[in-house]
Amino acid sequence: MINLPFDPLLVAILAPLAVALAIACGLPKRFAVKLAYVGFGLPLLLALHVWFYHAAVPQTSGYAFLTAYSTGLEALGIGLKLGLNGISLPLFVLAGIVGFAAGLYAIQSGAERLKIYLMLLLVMQGGLMGVFASVDIFFFYFFHELALIPTFIMVGIWGGRDRNYAAMKLTIYLTAGAMLSLVGLIALYVKSGANSFDLIELRRVLAAQPLGDTVQQNIFGLLALGFGILVSIWPLHTWAPLGYGAAPSSAAMLHAGVLKKFGLYGLIQIALPLLPAGLVHWSHPIAWLAVIGNVLVIGFVTIAQRDLKQMVGYSSVMHMGYAFLGLAAGSTLGVGGVVLLMVAHGLSVALMFLLSTSVYHRTHTFALDEMGGLAQKAPVLAALFVAATFAGIGLPGFANFWGELTIFVALWEFSPLITALAVAGVVISAIYGLRAAAAVFFGPVTPEFAKVAAVNPVTDLRWSERLPALILLAALMFVGFWPKSLSTALDATLAPAPAARVAAAK
Amino acid sequence: MTPVALALTVLLAPLGSAAVIALFLRRQGTLASAVSLAAALAVAVAGLGLALGGDAYRFNASTEWLKLGSFSLSLGFKFDDLAALMLSIVGIVGVCVHVFSLGYMHDDEAKARYFGGLSIFMFSMLGIVFADNLFMMFIFWELVGFSSYLLINHWHERAAPAAASKKAFIANRVGDFGFLLGIVMCYWANHTVNLSELDALAAKDGLVFSALIPLLLFCGAVGKSAQLPLQVWLPDAMEGPTPVSALIHAATMVAAGIYMLCRINVLMVPDALTVIMWTGTATALYAALCAIVQSDIKKILAYSTLSQLGYMVAAFGLGSLAVAHGDHSHMVAAGVGAAMFHLMTHAFFKALMFLGSGSVIHGCHHEQDIFKMGGLKTKMPLTFATFTLGVLAIIGFPFLAGFFSKDAILYLAYAKNTPVFALLALTAVLTSFYMVRLWKITFLGAARSDAAAHAHEGGLTLTLPLVVLAILSVFGGYTALYPKVFSEVFVLIPIAHGTDHMVILITSVAVTVIGAASALVFYKSAATDSLGAKSPGLFGALTALQFSFDRGYDYYVAKVQQRFALFLNFLEQIFLAGLIVRGLAGIVGLVGLGARGLHVGRLNVYLYWFLLGLVILWIYATEIF
Repeated sequence: MINLPFDPLLVAILAPLAVALAIACGLPKRFAVKLAYVGFGLPLLLALHVWFYHAAVPQTSGYAFLTAYSTGLEALGIGLKLGLNGISLPLFVLAGIVGFAAGLYAIQSGAERLKIYLMLLLVMQGGLMGVFASVDIFFFYFFHELALIPTFIMVGIWGGRDRNYAAMKLTIYLTAGAMLSLVGLIALYVKSGANSFDLIELRRVLAAQPLGDTVQQNIFGLLALGFGILVSIWPLHTWAPLGYGAAPSSAAMLHAGVLKKFGLYGLIQIALPLLPAGLVHWSHPIAWLAVIGNVLVIGFVTIAQRDLKQMVGYSSVMHMGYAFLGLAAGSTLGVGGVVLLMVAHGLSVALMFLLSTSVYHRTHTFALDEMGGLAQKAPVLAALFVAATFAGIGLPGFANFWGELTIFVALWEFSPLITALAVAGVVISAIYGLRAAAAVFFGPVTPEFAKVAAVNPVTDLRWSERLPALILLAALMFVGFWPKSLSTALDATLAPAPAARVAAAK
Repeated sequence: MTPVALALTVLLAPLGSAAVIALFLRRQGTLASAVSLAAALAVAVAGLGLALGGDAYRFNASTEWLKLGSFSLSLGFKFDDLAALMLSIVGIVGVCVHVFSLGYMHDDEAKARYFGGLSIFMFSMLGIVFADNLFMMFIFWELVGFSSYLLINHWHERAAPAAASKKAFIANRVGDFGFLLGIVMCYWANHTVNLSELDALAAKDGLVFSALIPLLLFCGAVGKSAQLPLQVWLPDAMEGPTPVSALIHAATMVAAGIYMLCRINVLMVPDALTVIMWTGTATALYAALCAIVQSDIKKILAYSTLSQLGYMVAAFGLGSLAVAHGDHSHMVAAGVGAAMFHLMTHAFFKALMFLGSGSVIHGCHHEQDIFKMGGLKTKMPLTFATFTLGVLAIIGFPFLAGFFSKDAILYLAYAKNTPVFALLALTAVLTSFYMVRLWKITFLGAARSDAAAHAHEGGLTLTLPLVVLAILSVFGGYTALYPKVFSEVFVLIPIAHGTDHMVILITSVAVTVIGAASALVFYKSAATDSLGAKSPGLFGALTALQFSFDRGYDYYVAKVQQRFALFLNFLEQIFLAGLIVRGLAGIVGLVGLGARGLHVGRLNVYLYWFLLGLVILWIYATEIF
């Protein structure tokens, strides 16, 4: 099984796109749904396959499963080159798992115009697999756009409250972020003189002849700003809670869980190794914005939320602060922690969005004050929600713990003061997380909820909702119990590369 | 079996039990309780085998768990006499509580969840016991907090347990904030957090000393062992089922803070010890004062636990003692010895009394107010007899377990710090007073309610654990009976000689007698609280003292934290989401940067622009034209 008769990465990208195309060509609904299982399932299976065999297959330039395809764009240095290193592997796996869970949840959701909904989600899924499998920066960016556009459309059509405003805001922000980072990437391409978008080639050229410090600083600044918007760095984060509040659950799962990681991934995979002096220059402003803005201010703002989905959205913004902090620390430990946190956060936030929607189907409201006592009627939902909450607040046994712990340890070396402020966030997240869990599930049933429950009898989580949730939870616990499943490859990629150079640049 | 395999069995049996219950036995409460009990028995048998096995069963073993760059985190066992002692306590009390739970939770609807929670707790607690490094200890430290949350919240349909569980976890998180920073600081200062390596560094004077490291680590103990000012969660935690209170909130988890301090004894510096000593002393006295005005049987025991934990923390903070050896003397970590000794005896007699109170509550149909009890001596003779032994043990009645361990602490205080000695002696008087008050009002006199009049002894599962723990509460103090085991710890126990011995003995007996006698006299009639009737001023002051911290925190949460959060949220919504962003959006619209494509409802236009751009790029790149 180690050698498949086809390129697993290419098939993982094309399978959902092909299914989307088939649906677009007018496949009847019952076939469309069946085929959608394949479209979401195949990337998952292939992701698990490459995860399992990653250490066993031969590597070229640090990449496993490396394959190049001709695109007819070689004149510009653009080629479709697919491969996975220790940084992209965890995210590729994340995309496979979250995509499958989001797909399953979408299939059972009974959304209006389900076919188009699934089609857009499949396009998104194909794009996501492509983002993390691309070694070529051009396609890395291309796949991101491919995944981003369906997000806008899904929010605009299937969104909840304020969907029009949310869709517009999302579009403006994310397009602006993407544009800025594109300018940065093009600048990198031009200045490097490598005449190639191929990351391996860029690395080789820039290792031999690094860019000047000023150039590095300027390009890194552009990339940090552009990617930063995409990852909702404070104060450019306001699209996130609003957008996720309005987005249909599967789209929110895929965007918050996976697509949002594009920015951080770009910074780690591209900016850090190619522009080490840029990181040194910008690390303090980034760290302060992240710790004061994302962690503390947004932490308190999250405490103030009275709407479950808004709370999840804001908590996601808060946790991105930790990611920026690990990035600022710059060491192998810090950056490795960011990747672990990206995977963990992706799984747990997807789980939270999924479960919040399931809560909504039972309470018919997201208002925390109008819920209460749901655990009596839906114990499985309660158990999963509590587990997801504890994962989110970094309880050991879940993947998130490793991300936060390694980032905190790395951060102390960078700045003990910032570490102390950042660790205060673990108290804040415990406050809002447990408050929300208690408000939804525990204590006596509120009169408002009793009225709703009288009209719509409350049932526990159905298996079709339970299965995607259990997949996400299992993944969280698997990494939580066995972090080496991701960290070994990560360490092999990171240890020789950016850390040493950043340390040297300091 | 090799020691490592045995230790792994001990650690993993409860985890397996929890997993099996969570996955398969959610609806089979009886089967779940059997699985959980089997795991607890395995822990006790294998654990005692390890603990009593002597030097052949002391080992260090570890395996790498995570590695990134130069940072490596391992999962390892450090099994020395200290760990062996703690393992024995957890194993014995664990089994007693499991057996008791069989009877106490017999009719509970969510029995499976309860026993699953007990198993998770056993696993987490054993992880703390075995941990060979501070990161691993922190991991299991957090997990015991989680299992405590689950079990306090067992009756989640009521508001009070839901609130209490949340409060417990958050208060612990506040302590863990410092604990984690301390671990990280220790890591960067000494480049290791492995306990054996820290010991080795200390042996060759290679440790980096800083008062900040032990004080930050102590924050963890302040949270977990409920010391001032984070003690507020423990009395509220009594909302959980009573066996849980016995196991987690009296005998084992709350003592983990003291165990952790003893583990990191080499990192201590005098300034830090002084802070620890006063924190413990203050907690001991404060909680004893609060205990006097309680009327809920579990609340009295909870405040008593707080007070005794304060005793242990104070004992640790008193630190080392110079012990004469012929002509010269050397320093002995007497604080560790005294604290661990009292931890052990306290675990036995406090678990006994909590289970005894459970038996009483069970017998009185869930009545917890002692002023509605009375006359249980004849109705529940076995509970009465064992509870009496527990009371005698805690008040330091000669030749029972508490007598020895309390004397060790009093002697250490006497030798090191007179004000602390005076305060601890005063605490001992109060302890004797409130325990005899509890005992007399509950068991003696006439029944003062229907529930008490119809009280009855429970079945064998409810009484057998009481007998076992009563025996241990009587004999647990005779460390001389088992000199070969745990000798590394017990050799550290301070023992008074000569005139010191007489002073301590007289003080000890005097405080016990004064406290007990005044309680017997004062609460002659027990229809209502005599203190409230005779001295309302003092009663009111003590009640206010009890609520002062809660009031302060409630004020902070409602008036400071919540308002600050709402204020920031207001700024967020108005400035960021409103003015700035809408303003920017307006400018963007004015400039007309592709504004048409961004208009809502025509998002597909954006798609067309994107595709068009792609086509143009392609045409340009392939140089068709």
